[in-house]
Amino acid sequence: MRAERQRTRRAAVLIACVAALVSVLPPRAIVRGARNGAIAGRVELRRVAPPVERRPTVGDLGTSAAALDISDRLKSVVYLDSAPRGAFEQVETPRAVMDQRGERFVPHVLAITTGTIVDFPNSDRIYHNVFSLSKTRQFDLGRYAVGHSKPVRFDRAGVVRVFCDIHSHMNAFILVFSHPFYSLTDNDGRYRIDNVPPGTYNVIAWNEGVSSEARAVIVPDGGVGELDFTLR
Amino acid sequence: MKLALRAALFAVLALGHGRPAHPQALPSEPISFADGRVTVGGDVSISVAPEDTGFFNYTDYEHSALRLFHADVTTSIGMGGHFAVLGEMSTENGDRLEAYALYLRIRPWIDRPFDIQAGRVPPTFGAFGRHAYSTDNLLIGYPLAYQYLTSLRADALPVNADELLSMRGRGWLSQFSLGSREPAAGLPLATAFRWDTGVQVHAAAGPMVDATAAVTTGTLSNPLFADDNSGRQIAGRLSVHPLAGLLIGASAARGPFVSNTAARGAVGDGHDGEFTQTAFGGDIEYSHAYYLVRAETVFSEWKVPAVGTPVIDTPLRALATYVEGRYKVRPGLYVAARLDHLGFNEVTGSLGPQTWEAPVSRFEVGGGYSIQRNLLLKVSWQHNTRDGGRVTRATLGAAQLVFWF
Repeated sequence: MRAERQRTRRAAVLIACVAALVSVLPPRAIVRGARNGAIAGRVELRRVAPPVERRPTVGDLGTSAAALDISDRLKSVVYLDSAPRGAFEQVETPRAVMDQRGERFVPHVLAITTGTIVDFPNSDRIYHNVFSLSKTRQFDLGRYAVGHSKPVRFDRAGVVRVFCDIHSHMNAFILVFSHPFYSLTDNDGRYRIDNVPPGTYNVIAWNEGVSSEARAVIVPDGGVGELDFTLR
Repeated sequence: MKLALRAALFAVLALGHGRPAHPQALPSEPISFADGRVTVGGDVSISVAPEDTGFFNYTDYEHSALRLFHADVTTSIGMGGHFAVLGEMSTENGDRLEAYALYLRIRPWIDRPFDIQAGRVPPTFGAFGRHAYSTDNLLIGYPLAYQYLTSLRADALPVNADELLSMRGRGWLSQFSLGSREPAAGLPLATAFRWDTGVQVHAAAGPMVDATAAVTTGTLSNPLFADDNSGRQIAGRLSVHPLAGLLIGASAARGPFVSNTAARGAVGDGHDGEFTQTAFGGDIEYSHAYYLVRAETVFSEWKVPAVGTPVIDTPLRALATYVEGRYKVRPGLYVAARLDHLGFNEVTGSLGPQTWEAPVSRFEVGGGYSIQRNLLLKVSWQHNTRDGGRVTRATLGAAQLVFWF
């Protein structure tokens, strides 16, 4: 009985070790002593996702002044599907900010690593109530006024959709990664993921809930692997 | 064995890292097209409850707020920054579609918070009437002021105090001698289920003060699409936001509510504008962190003709007050409660003075759970008491599923 338990324990440890090893290794082995490179390119959006309109509530006595903006829909996130060795060595707790300003979340898309604490300040003169029911991280910060901020720590990788309970048109995305190999594009769609060890990687582009297929790219020793995407 | 399970779990988690999870499945956003000029939203709700034999929750003779399928589609068509057409078509229990709201919104100066709305417009009076949707209502039942049917009618009048008193607690199907002789549902103090037709002006002075005034064809208790008497209702509302989370409002409205036909049947021609409904209201809302508390009171006075003896020698008055609150227990889950009372003044019949309608009290407690952001399951339990009528007590449980986009 004891021997069987030991065998089970050994098997379990072996499974865990293999899984951990598989998870941190890229599809091809990294060359020891090589210089890190980068992955760069452009994400082209065939169609820009429209901003979420206000619900057409007939009960309002007048028009709301806040304007909608599509510029933050132009930003995409490009990330490695699986991370190279050493990706999980993170000592400090990083912080990020998602502001509530002009009845919008600013930025509309935030990409962070697991363990990051995101502050949600309210810069509007009205109440907001930030919440998420995403499986990755559920939270509800309640209502708070201008000048106040509340933090949320994100410990699991995944997509978190963020909303305001009072203003239904306010929404944002937080993409939580368990590695640092991701990049937010600029408004022209350009991105660059730095400090990537040489090797072959599968890369994914994401925009407003739509993901591309994983595409392979080779990062040469100290060089740049080029990869463009087209979405929507 | 536990260790093996943990290891397997770790393996699954480790292998699955780096790939973001999928967001929720059902759409949660309004449909927008024509470059954002046309936006369509909607609500669907299904409420189930045991039969309400005391008609405490009926909104007319056929519809109970606790046993209802409601669907509506709301459309906004923007025409530049100055004009917008807003409309809402809704159906209850699969009945024909009706235009709940349909109006033109004009904003003469884009940068100034001044709007004119004309058509079937949202109620000016009070706080609850504009937000009676299942998504906004904390519970499943409605505040008595906006839902409970008194015996009073706009198209039929009691010939004397005894006839009025005989209808106490029968607002769901009352019948009088003057005007229409058909039994029909009576009037609430202010209905949340029909909107009035007219012109409304709204202005805001900074972020602190809002003012609204309207001229409409019907009254609070009897909003109309086409006028049935010679008078118009004038209504006004002033609200202030002295600090974040606090809203204090005051409202008033006055207009003739008795139809031409009923007034002519009671006192002859030329008097239909005399029988008015006058109402005053006060409301307050405070919210902070996970709490939301609202209170509202509505006072209404109806003038009815004194025809036969014993005469109805005083205006008919009613005062409704409710206090409700919500507390969010955890993300997606809240509990709520509402305490509500509706009282009436006395008239003197052959048997002495008596309130002209049976006072009603209601306590409702419940909560809601968001299955996803725009799919809400509510449950509630309510206890009703009434000082009159065939059924004087009713305890009802209810459940409601609400979907919106």
